[in-house]
Amino acid sequence: MPERIATVVPEDGLHARPGATFVETAADSDADVQVGHTGGDLVNAASMLAVTGLGVEHGDEVRLVAEGEDADATLDELERILTTPEDDR
Amino acid sequence: MVRRLSGVGAIRAAGTGTAVWYGSEPDLGDPPAIGTVDPDPDPDPDTDTDTDTETETETETERFESARDAARKAIRAERERATERLDDAAAAVFDAHVQFLDDPQLAETVAARIESGLPAEHAVDRAFAAFVDRFEGTGGRTAERADDLRDVRDRLLRELVGGDRDDLADLPAGSVVLAERLTPSDTARLDPDRVAGFATVTGGPTAHAAIFARSLGLPAVVGVGEGLHDVAAGAEVVVDGTEGEVVIGPDAATREAAGGDERVEIRTAPVTTAEGTPIEVAANVGQQADLAAAADHGADGIGLFRTEFLFFDRASPPDEDEQYEAYREALATFPDGRVVVRTLDVGGDKPVGYLDPADDENPFLGERGIRRSLGPDADVFETQLRALLRAAATDAGGRLSVMVPLVTTVDEVVAAREAIESVAAALDAAGEAYATPEFGVMIETPAAALLAEPLVGHVDFVSVGTNDLAQYVMAAARGNRRVADLADPRQPAVLRAIRRGVAATEGTDVWVGVCGEMASDPAVTPLLVGLGVDELSVAPASAPRVKRAVSEVRDDAARDLAERALAAGTREEVAAVLDGTVS
Repeated sequence: MPERIATVVPEDGLHARPGATFVETAADSDADVQVGHTGGDLVNAASMLAVTGLGVEHGDEVRLVAEGEDADATLDELERILTTPEDDR
Repeated sequence: MVRRLSGVGAIRAAGTGTAVWYGSEPDLGDPPAIGTVDPDPDPDPDTDTDTDTETETETETERFESARDAARKAIRAERERATERLDDAAAAVFDAHVQFLDDPQLAETVAARIESGLPAEHAVDRAFAAFVDRFEGTGGRTAERADDLRDVRDRLLRELVGGDRDDLADLPAGSVVLAERLTPSDTARLDPDRVAGFATVTGGPTAHAAIFARSLGLPAVVGVGEGLHDVAAGAEVVVDGTEGEVVIGPDAATREAAGGDERVEIRTAPVTTAEGTPIEVAANVGQQADLAAAADHGADGIGLFRTEFLFFDRASPPDEDEQYEAYREALATFPDGRVVVRTLDVGGDKPVGYLDPADDENPFLGERGIRRSLGPDADVFETQLRALLRAAATDAGGRLSVMVPLVTTVDEVVAAREAIESVAAALDAAGEAYATPEFGVMIETPAAALLAEPLVGHVDFVSVGTNDLAQYVMAAARGNRRVADLADPRQPAVLRAIRRGVAATEGTDVWVGVCGEMASDPAVTPLLVGLGVDELSVAPASAPRVKRAVSEVRDDAARDLAERALAAGTREEVAAVLDGTVS
């Protein structure tokens, strides 16, 4: 299964707009994506409740794992969201 | 005796008033008796022969699903109301609530509880309790989202068990609201004109309630702790956001330091400048309650009746008779004042589900406003025009004006006028009473400002919508705090666009108004009057202050001020001109 490790760049972490965009992207994809702090539990990336519950902040390192159709493309897109400062969107 | 409780100030402002305790949690009734709930739900329903249980599970699942649909609609309607009074950041809060509501994990957790034999309301309550615990256990910003979860939960529960929340929109003037916690939608309902401030036992400075307080300019102290319960309802309290204090039984000195609350005399009569130039001060109406608020605050009429609120929060558009009644009521509220009704402005960021939303990549530059009315929503437009032309024939109907939004070309204006004429012909043929109202357009796009001269030849009036105009001229979204300095009507480019629209009306019979937040700010009243504006359409609560500001304007000084502001090359220079720090 493809996976990525990324350090979270947006100031808001996975809250507010980056969080919303991240969850929407995961939900819209045909792949099943899981996310968590590196070394921690993985949760459903398409769930706002689960992702907010992780409490991912700016500077945290997270791990993404995807399975199914478009897994790689989805991971690319999610990684981009995690590593793009908000001002650049 | 004076007592001080400390918390965290949400805003550097203070207010004094009478304490009112507010509680919002719906009553669920008793949970089912112990023993009727299967503690270990059978994962395979085929082995369960009890069809009653299956039927009950189905019924409860359906109840949950329909409550979720209703709650989603309610949140979207609230989002619209909030954007009228708060800002676009508030809209994002409600978008997040929809995301929580539609979360797959929520659905799963509730389904599991229903399977175990719980009725839907208890299943929802327990599912949310688990998520709230997890959020609060995580701490930080996640913990501050717990109040958002409670907000979504309470909406679902109200759909399931009924019961209204206490009406926060209808508190006595001068109330200070005290609560265990306020959800974002509770806070969005507070009327800054009636409420002097609020204080909560829980909450932090980045919780949405605190953010909304700042946006509303409402004094607030959050996270006061259990000590807040010592404040009895009816006590006089000061909420001091600057010091982060709630003061019980304040003495005169404390009240003085807190600034008290400035009351501005309400004038019901039209006002003029000090030199006698009449300036109409009308109100913006974005929800039913604004109509009475506009009259209560002495507005001369309605300068912007946003008809969208008649269309939100329902399954199909309001029919002709329902709209006719709504417009007739607005006209009857201001028998002597002008009522400017803006035709439906949906699409873009204001989708209405049943109107077949356009799938625009950039909604602000897509099919919205008049573009929809002349395109896919032509039938809705026709119905609205029929209702308006009929309302124009009622007793107070002579002061009705119809205005179309987001105009960019002369063709659109001609087409809108033709639509009105053909509706008039149809009403005439049917023998119905009707009258043709005054007709005008919004100047809220750079195209309309640049094209103001030819546009003016086709209309009775124009109204400059400074919110959208600033946003489109500066290519900067209003809700985005990183570009907030750009999306400011004090930017020289925006001032020049406004002036261009106003100048096109000079020497004609066409009158010109300004709606948008800028008009509500008494500090810019002299500038707008100096630019040559005839009408200001303001938030109902701002009418007394703007009327006072108009009455203090000296025409020559205002024209001079406007000239200097128009000559400025930077926002700072404009601000300095307005502050009177340069001359």
